[in-house]
Amino acid sequence: MQLIILDLRRLLALLLLVGLLLVTARPAAWAQARYTLSGTVRAAGGEVLPGASVAVPALNTGTATDSVGHFSLTLPAGRYQVVVAFVGFESLTSDVNLTRNQRFVYPLTASENALDEVVVQGTQTLEQKLKTPQMGVEHISIREAKLLPALFGEVDILKTLQLKPGVQPGGEGSSGLFVRGGSADQNLFLLDNAVVYNPSHLFGLFSVFNSDAVQSVDLYKAGFPAQFGGRLSSVVDVKLREGDRQHFHVEGGLGLISSRLTLEGPLNKGKGSFILSGRRTYFDVFTRAYNRANVNKLDFTPIPDYYFYDLNFKANYTLGAHDNLYLSAYLGRDKFGYSSNASGFDFNFNWGNTLATLRWSHVFNPQLLVNTTATVTDYQYNLTNKLDQFTFNLGSSIRDYALRTDFEYTPNDRHAIKFGAAATAHRFGVGRLQAGSGDGSVNFGADVGYTANEGALYVGDNFRATDKLQIDAGLRLSAWHSGTNNYAGLEPRLSTRYSLSDNVSLKASYALMYQYVHLVTNSGATLPTDIWYPSRLSVMPQRSQQVSTGMSFLLGGGKYLLTDEVYYKWGKNQIDFKDGAQLFVNPELDTEFLFGKSWSYGNELYLEKKTGKTTGWVGYTLAWAWLNIGPQRGTTGVNNGQDYHPNYDRRHNLTVVVLHQLNTRISLTASYIFTSGNLTTLPAGRFGFQDISGANINTNTGNTTGGTDPRPIPVYPDRNSYRLIPYSRLDLGLVYKLRPTQRGGERDFTFSIYNATNRRNAYFDYFETVRDKTTDRITGFRAQQVSLFPFIPSVTYNFKF
Amino acid sequence: MKLLPFRYFAAVGALVLAGCGKFSNDLNVPLPAYDSQLVVECYLEPGVVPSLAVTESQTYLSAVAPTVPTDVTVNLSMPDGTLVPLYYKPGQDPLTQKFYTHIGRAPLVAKPGDTFGLDALDTKGRHVTGTATMPATVPIDSTAYKFNDAPNATRKAYFLTYFKDPATADDDYRLQLHKGLRIYSSPEVDLTIQDRLLNGQPVTLGTSYRFLPGDTVTATLYHLDPAFYRFRQSVTDARNANGNPFGQPSAIYSTVQGGIGVFTVLNYTRKTVFLSK
Repeated sequence: MQLIILDLRRLLALLLLVGLLLVTARPAAWAQARYTLSGTVRAAGGEVLPGASVAVPALNTGTATDSVGHFSLTLPAGRYQVVVAFVGFESLTSDVNLTRNQRFVYPLTASENALDEVVVQGTQTLEQKLKTPQMGVEHISIREAKLLPALFGEVDILKTLQLKPGVQPGGEGSSGLFVRGGSADQNLFLLDNAVVYNPSHLFGLFSVFNSDAVQSVDLYKAGFPAQFGGRLSSVVDVKLREGDRQHFHVEGGLGLISSRLTLEGPLNKGKGSFILSGRRTYFDVFTRAYNRANVNKLDFTPIPDYYFYDLNFKANYTLGAHDNLYLSAYLGRDKFGYSSNASGFDFNFNWGNTLATLRWSHVFNPQLLVNTTATVTDYQYNLTNKLDQFTFNLGSSIRDYALRTDFEYTPNDRHAIKFGAAATAHRFGVGRLQAGSGDGSVNFGADVGYTANEGALYVGDNFRATDKLQIDAGLRLSAWHSGTNNYAGLEPRLSTRYSLSDNVSLKASYALMYQYVHLVTNSGATLPTDIWYPSRLSVMPQRSQQVSTGMSFLLGGGKYLLTDEVYYKWGKNQIDFKDGAQLFVNPELDTEFLFGKSWSYGNELYLEKKTGKTTGWVGYTLAWAWLNIGPQRGTTGVNNGQDYHPNYDRRHNLTVVVLHQLNTRISLTASYIFTSGNLTTLPAGRFGFQDISGANINTNTGNTTGGTDPRPIPVYPDRNSYRLIPYSRLDLGLVYKLRPTQRGGERDFTFSIYNATNRRNAYFDYFETVRDKTTDRITGFRAQQVSLFPFIPSVTYNFKF
Repeated sequence: MKLLPFRYFAAVGALVLAGCGKFSNDLNVPLPAYDSQLVVECYLEPGVVPSLAVTESQTYLSAVAPTVPTDVTVNLSMPDGTLVPLYYKPGQDPLTQKFYTHIGRAPLVAKPGDTFGLDALDTKGRHVTGTATMPATVPIDSTAYKFNDAPNATRKAYFLTYFKDPATADDDYRLQLHKGLRIYSSPEVDLTIQDRLLNGQPVTLGTSYRFLPGDTVTATLYHLDPAFYRFRQSVTDARNANGNPFGQPSAIYSTVQGGIGVFTVLNYTRKTVFLSK
């Protein structure tokens, strides 16, 4: 076994700290009898509400519900008012006479205007953010995301996350995330605890998360809780809605490029509920009609067929007073096809995720509960190319079977202890190739696959040492086995908060992360054809460490929260690939990897306002990201072994989001983003290349010179040495709520304008060869900037009844 | 139910694209300073008088102008160590249409396994050197073709080329199919493959239905020097990265040192087939 060694002294210090937290002395107040108030916060319909606040003002204490809507508070015996609040719901005040351990279900009623929760929420969430030791976490309410303007009207939670500080988008319109200098494959996407390996549709333009089915999204950028692991840069924890336990509903929307439909309702007289949600684009309906209308035209080239769809399902059932069962599933597919009868060409390319989660939640007693979860995750792509009688199939897949159990133990109001274990069996279909002909004259196949097993044990304690000091410390032990290779690593996590006053908190965090799976790609973006590869042979686990610190200020009587965080992250075993690497169906793929180190640092300033008619946030990030891949494996490394920036390194990033409730029917929204341009590599020089005889002869009929032009071959300088022009975009939105139907149904029109100023942002730059139209001879070269999305208005009709 | 006329969809589409203008704009790019390098291209071939093109690389956006240095002295070293000068005598091969700057006086004698050397030196001290070994001969075992069942006017055949990869690892091939005997014109098919998944096995390379009854097909199978394969692959990757937002630029992996370019010995077998109706 290969143990990834930590500094022993640091490890001992950390273990000591965790131990101290667990056995810390009891305060004198414990002489009084103490009881536990626990339970669940749900929407009135029945869905649990993670992140809801449960406060006891008389004791100046409180907590927030966990990811399954559960809370637990241990208090001195007595009579209290308990205030329960959550974004978008009316606050609830309950009188409790705590003379024994008691368990409640608090149902919260949605605010009158279901779309305008921004005006009814209390200041509790900002206070929670001020007082939590957790740093670098962003919670996105799906209702908030639905209000914001969106490309083609398609609400996209990942694009909403891109508006948060420290999160960089990929290219124009892309839903890829680059968090604090990490690459796109270093984000862990979880959908109800199941790993999502490819979170996007349409080559990254849209995310796989259907906003109608999603309840909440939490993004962790630092100070990762110990229950999370497996990726270096971020955790995006997406929870699906559970459905209404009391009434049946139909919800949906008609948009420019897709439609959505969701059904939800109770099971067995409110003992459970379900939700089924689907979404499908209809580009293909129009392109097929267009192709049919032009099929008889000479030289007509049909438009390829493309569509995507996804289906989400979730059901929950209360088995008894202490047991709940949850089942959720996801199926999403992108389908691209092109065929031409004239040339005998038939091309099909399908890819997508399939996920399933079964979770059993059991409450032992008010202090102890356990969630046991089994998940299956599958991502695969299949590419079929048929040319006359020849067929060519290429594919790759990854499948995980995972089981985890997570305990939450709240012995008193000062400790919230989480511990658990996780095990995953990975099946990597790294490459699959099949080529053949109808008559059997050509028949060839190759298949490269591996298995791996991953395990983890973790423990963490959120410890309120004093009213001013709160510490969330954890330790995770992760292990990996593939073939003859074994790895294990200790991953300490620490987050602290110290309150300088009621309105000012000082925070700091540290996290060490290991990543055992690696994305094999030679492009700057994530594509459906990217391959996941296990740690094995020379491919060691990636590792990163991050320290961050910051201050939070509650301003304006609690209306504003200003947060400033600085971070430094450094990693080793970061991967890249040799130039010209053979990435497909290569049984020796590990020899194509190159390894190096990374480091990034920056400052994130974030001001948010969540009360009143006008809400929103302003975020500014100043950041640097660096890589170094030195000479190795017969190469000079990347960039000749010199330090370089990844293409997503952006020095400045400013986002402004404003949501304004004009009246009970109309909400106005605007978002503005300004970032430094992406880095790219443009050729500095060129040379002419003739190739061997008979390979490069200009035989165009207009070529009267009888000569040949050598092909211009670009010579590239340092990697990512040229920065595109700054990216700037203003989006505007308006939600117009129609009068409710007689049966109380809700309807609205959501108008969006993407890129309202019609700015030509750079998608990429390149050098174009200019040719004489008559002779086809090269006459010059010029630089070109390509833009993707101009001013794009869209409208979506949403309904719910 | 009456369906909406298509013009309404067109109107929506027009609205969507209301702001669309040009998606591509001219751009002023300040490129970093670039130092020109000597570029050589030399493909030795048994029975052919050796020739070589020496040019210079230039800043990408500079004007199109011949950059042929006139002060380069070129020598080939033979397998026995003797030096053979190539003389500066720019011209264009009337058969292949290829340009050269230096040429020898006698056809090359070479056999598989022979190693040759290149030495090019200009008066500024730029010095390009390289060595190349002639690969083993890999014959085309056979060829085949088959017509489809389409009516006579549209009847076409696919073409198959068979050969056997030797047991040695790291063999690279290039297959060109030319129509008729115009083997110096642009090929109908130009394929490059490696043997990493087919080492030591019979290999079949095929085309789509593209040849007409009465066509003559000339198949040329090159067994490539691995360094030449790598150079050509890097050239292809570098070209593809320019204008591809997903492409990763590749460095040029020359087979020579001290400059850019390729020095290799070609070894190929050729077969010409008449496609009878």
